[in-house]
Amino acid sequence: MENYLKRYRGLTLIGLLAISLVLVLAGCGGGGEQDKAPGADGGGERIIRISEANVPNIDPGVGSDYSDSIALANIYDTLVFPNHDGTTGPLLAKDWEASDDGLVWTFNLRDDVKFHNGDELTAEDVVFSVERMLALGEGYSYLFTDVLKEVKALDTYQVQFTLEKPFGPFLSTLVRMCVLNKDQVMENIQDGPYGDMGDYGKEWLITNDAGSGPYMVEELKKQEYLRGVKFEDYWGGWDEDAPEAFEILGTTSPSTIRTLMTRKELEITDQWQTKEALAALNDLPGVEINGAFTGTILNIMFNTKKAPTDDIHFRRALSYVFDYATVAEQLFPGSRKARGPISESLPGFNEDLQPLERNLEKAKEELAKSKYADKLDEYSVEAMWMTEVPDEEKVALLLQANAEELGINVDVVKVPWLSYVDQVAAMETTPHAGLVFVSPHYNEAGSILEPRYHSRSTGTWEQGEWLQDPDIDAAIDDAIGTIDTEERLAKYAAIQEQIIELAPTIWSFDQAEERAYQASYIHWPAAEKIKNGEPATAVMGYMYYFREFKVYPDKK
Amino acid sequence: MNKLHRYFLKRLFYSIFVLIGLSIVIFVIARVVPGDPARMALGPRAPQFAVDALREEMHLNNNLPTQYFYWVKGVATGDLGKSLVTKRNVTEDIKEFLPATLELVALSAVFVIMFSILFGALAARHKDKWIDSLIRVMAYTGVAMPSFVLAVLFLLFFGYIWPVIPVLGRLSAGLYAPPTFTGLYTIDSLLVGDLEVFWDALKHLLLPALALAVGPLFQEARIVRSSMTDNMTKDYLASAVAFGMPDRVVMGKYLLKPSMIPAVSVMGLDIAAMMGNAFLVEVIFNWPGISRFGMEAMLHKDLNAISAVIVVFGLIFVLVNILVDLIVAYLDPRIRLGGGV
Amino acid sequence: MDAKIQRTEIIVPSPAARLKEGFRKNWYKFSRNKLSIAGLVIVLSIIVVAILAPYVAPYPKHAGKFVDYVNANQGPSAAHFFGTDNFGRDVLSRIIFAFRGALLMGIMVLAIAVPVGVFFGLLAGYYQGSFLDTFIMRITDIFLSVPPLLLALAIAAVLEPNLTNAMIAVTVMWWPWYTRLVYGMATSLKNEYFVTSAELVGAGRFHILFREILPNCLSPIFTKMALDVGWVILIGASLSFVGLGEQPPTPALGQMVSDGTRYMPDLWWMTVYPSLAIAVIILGFNMLGDGIRDMMSKGEHDRG
Repeated sequence: MENYLKRYRGLTLIGLLAISLVLVLAGCGGGGEQDKAPGADGGGERIIRISEANVPNIDPGVGSDYSDSIALANIYDTLVFPNHDGTTGPLLAKDWEASDDGLVWTFNLRDDVKFHNGDELTAEDVVFSVERMLALGEGYSYLFTDVLKEVKALDTYQVQFTLEKPFGPFLSTLVRMCVLNKDQVMENIQDGPYGDMGDYGKEWLITNDAGSGPYMVEELKKQEYLRGVKFEDYWGGWDEDAPEAFEILGTTSPSTIRTLMTRKELEITDQWQTKEALAALNDLPGVEINGAFTGTILNIMFNTKKAPTDDIHFRRALSYVFDYATVAEQLFPGSRKARGPISESLPGFNEDLQPLERNLEKAKEELAKSKYADKLDEYSVEAMWMTEVPDEEKVALLLQANAEELGINVDVVKVPWLSYVDQVAAMETTPHAGLVFVSPHYNEAGSILEPRYHSRSTGTWEQGEWLQDPDIDAAIDDAIGTIDTEERLAKYAAIQEQIIELAPTIWSFDQAEERAYQASYIHWPAAEKIKNGEPATAVMGYMYYFREFKVYPDKK
Repeated sequence: MNKLHRYFLKRLFYSIFVLIGLSIVIFVIARVVPGDPARMALGPRAPQFAVDALREEMHLNNNLPTQYFYWVKGVATGDLGKSLVTKRNVTEDIKEFLPATLELVALSAVFVIMFSILFGALAARHKDKWIDSLIRVMAYTGVAMPSFVLAVLFLLFFGYIWPVIPVLGRLSAGLYAPPTFTGLYTIDSLLVGDLEVFWDALKHLLLPALALAVGPLFQEARIVRSSMTDNMTKDYLASAVAFGMPDRVVMGKYLLKPSMIPAVSVMGLDIAAMMGNAFLVEVIFNWPGISRFGMEAMLHKDLNAISAVIVVFGLIFVLVNILVDLIVAYLDPRIRLGGGV
Repeated sequence: MDAKIQRTEIIVPSPAARLKEGFRKNWYKFSRNKLSIAGLVIVLSIIVVAILAPYVAPYPKHAGKFVDYVNANQGPSAAHFFGTDNFGRDVLSRIIFAFRGALLMGIMVLAIAVPVGVFFGLLAGYYQGSFLDTFIMRITDIFLSVPPLLLALAIAAVLEPNLTNAMIAVTVMWWPWYTRLVYGMATSLKNEYFVTSAELVGAGRFHILFREILPNCLSPIFTKMALDVGWVILIGASLSFVGLGEQPPTPALGQMVSDGTRYMPDLWWMTVYPSLAIAVIILGFNMLGDGIRDMMSKGEHDRG
């Protein structure tokens, strides 16, 4: 009967169809790529594309991570602006003055600022934005919650802040207070838990902006990208080579990044690429690596309220056994050993502190003093690292191998970022050790000390220690309440020594934030400054203030 | 009403029952996880009054059955709750991400059907010849390769070594999605006559669809082969030839069609396998579909999103199975004519 | 007495006895297909290697808490046949140890899912038409109405990620297949003469379910089990690929592939070798399973 099949022409037909489909697809694939040679399409656009761990939350009341901060800096204006030299200069506010006790701050606004929809920006909008941020209690609001007492509009272009208590770094924290268009937000509120304010426009602001910044949101595709385009009428004006658009891509997948960089479809990578990936990217023509010390430290945060890491000698033992040199030299070449909780590059760093070193003898000594010394097998230390940051795994496994030398059992657990944030919200669920990169929110040691070690910030991702030490709390409050800058910085220095004494954390290394970028056709001011040994802004997000960038598409 | 209609009504009724059961299972899984969903949605620093208001809004203060009632009511009205990851209503996410997955699975299904008939028939035609052995070896290897392994190997090969086909996302940079009618880029771009986008979208589909299709394809090919070789020995085939019917009719109507029945019957399972594997393949190819969204949701314990994704997949799966039954009924006269149900 | 005679006449002796009786015939059926033998060889070698891992692996320490950043990222060489990963660990040694988890997964999942599934299938089938039948079979339908990998992912994601929970997740989605299989057989068997006779002479329900019906279902059950091992390992690898299986530093195949993708294409050995290992172990079990199916099938069915 098989001969019937042999005569079956339909079969040949299907075969031809299937094969031709694949060939056509593959053929077009080849052809298509050639079409897409440099300059074909998209090549001519002056655009900066940057990858980040996630597509940003562009609601100024909600966003606070790296990706969010980049987006907000470009879409919204703030009263003041963080300059590259570390000072805080004017932006929406022309000038300002503070009362002698540092409690009352009055800002005079520019009168030529338009929102993206053409509305004029006035003091009312500033007041609304502050109230909204405090009501939501999310994002950067913690910088203001315990500080601000009242904010009011004195005049169309004058706004006054009254503080609860003196707060030295108040001015620098204002770079985290984006100004929204009140009328536009109020037109778009929906039902929600905030009483008269409904949802405070949260739903609408997920994919829309109500800002006055140099770029306007064109499209936000969840899980893919945020695309912003130039706001032609920006009050500050434009350089002709400035980017016409920017995109923040929500992926750090090395294969994606590699492909996009090769095809020049990405201008700046995220900072989470591994050492190996960066080395490969560096080999691409025209690509360079920018390494900047932005005050970021990889912390191994011990939960000081949970056995066995509640014992100070146990913590010290781990701190001494940790191999700092391997991390700084082998794992993250270009970085440096940490010298305590504050990075060397942050104003307020204690210059007397020395780089941390491994010392097996001292580690054993400390462990012997620990109350867990003779029952190590009953306890194990759970160390969590973040799925999004694969390099952390190397440090976690190093800690594990080091601890093994003391007979301490470390379990390494990988956890997605948002889950970690959820777990540190309660002391019981906070792991013994959490590996978290922390960057300063404003350019001063206080911006690390307060969220990292003050009791107010327990339960947030920035403090996995649950330190709750009244002396430290008082010292931090005292320092940030000091108006005189020099005095304030001196107080910060003293606190660092106090904290090191308690060994709540292993400060594993002082990170050089490394990103690959297309040096051949973009001009990135911060990278240039770093290359020339000049200071560049360390305030999170502001190295990527795209208005000051330049793009030369013809050099691709 | 004939027997067939009654059979499908019964089938439909059972499916609804199954979906309700599934929703209970999912709801229970999602609610036993520790943690306050309202607090998780608003963040650790949100003021207590806002959290309380949200708890009230989400009916979290009620007992479990009441909560389930509200949840089902929400599902019925298209309100699946807020996602922790995207911070918006999950319904929005599903609307945005589902078409990409459907497009992927649909093309895989096309591959499976085409190539399984081709390979199956080829192997049957050349039974015990080298082609048959070759296809058998291919089948063993194909079935043993999990789709995520294939996807990774495709990525390695076509992403770096021989970059002729795009490997990431749905469209090349510089091209923008066609206006949304169906959400399927290939169809939408054809509707507006944008051939460039059509080809580009199709090329982007190729590798992920292939990675999904290979396993089911070879399984089906083996089924087609064995049922064709079985049917070749049937008497009715000889009679058909004896009656002088043209070869094409004999092959199409009396050999290929009945041989397809067992293959089509397991198609439902294959679609299930493809939908499940889509979860890994979409992650690897950076494909912005509902599976990648679901994967993200699972890793972040985003319970509303997990529940929604599972319910949607359950629904699709049930519909596909009914469709498969219809096709089998069409192919098999014993069922169509009401005999053997 | 009557029942006993009927029984011996109708049913074939238990598969165990049959195996012994017709060993040569079975071996003939099994070995007729060379691929089955290849499968048997692959599976046996993997099992032996996995059991003897500490002695066979070139660097047994590398499967545990070990880092050696000086020797990281080395390509395949005489010292490291499959190269070293980004922690300086020998990839070959880690693959060998990862086989342990994969095998354990395959064995444990079936060891729990099969008895549970079979038990419910027997119960539902024997009490066909009763409330119990509807209840069990509708629950089965619910579990079968979601793509299996999806359900396993969801369950594993909600639990803590580790090997035990991954096995639990896969078990939960696996038992209904056996319930459905046994249900079909039990509904027809319960009307067979030997069962009704046993009922007539007043045999207990336990006796009827497990001594009369069950032995007649064993052959298809074993066949399905043989064919399923590969699938279970595949699902387990998929779970571990997304981080829901064995946690580092303990190696798992899926986890190794997923780690390796971060370093493609330069450190290709980190991806390619574990990928091949997954394919080989599944291939081995599939070929062996087909051989067992051929052996168990009564007729001279064509191998498809």
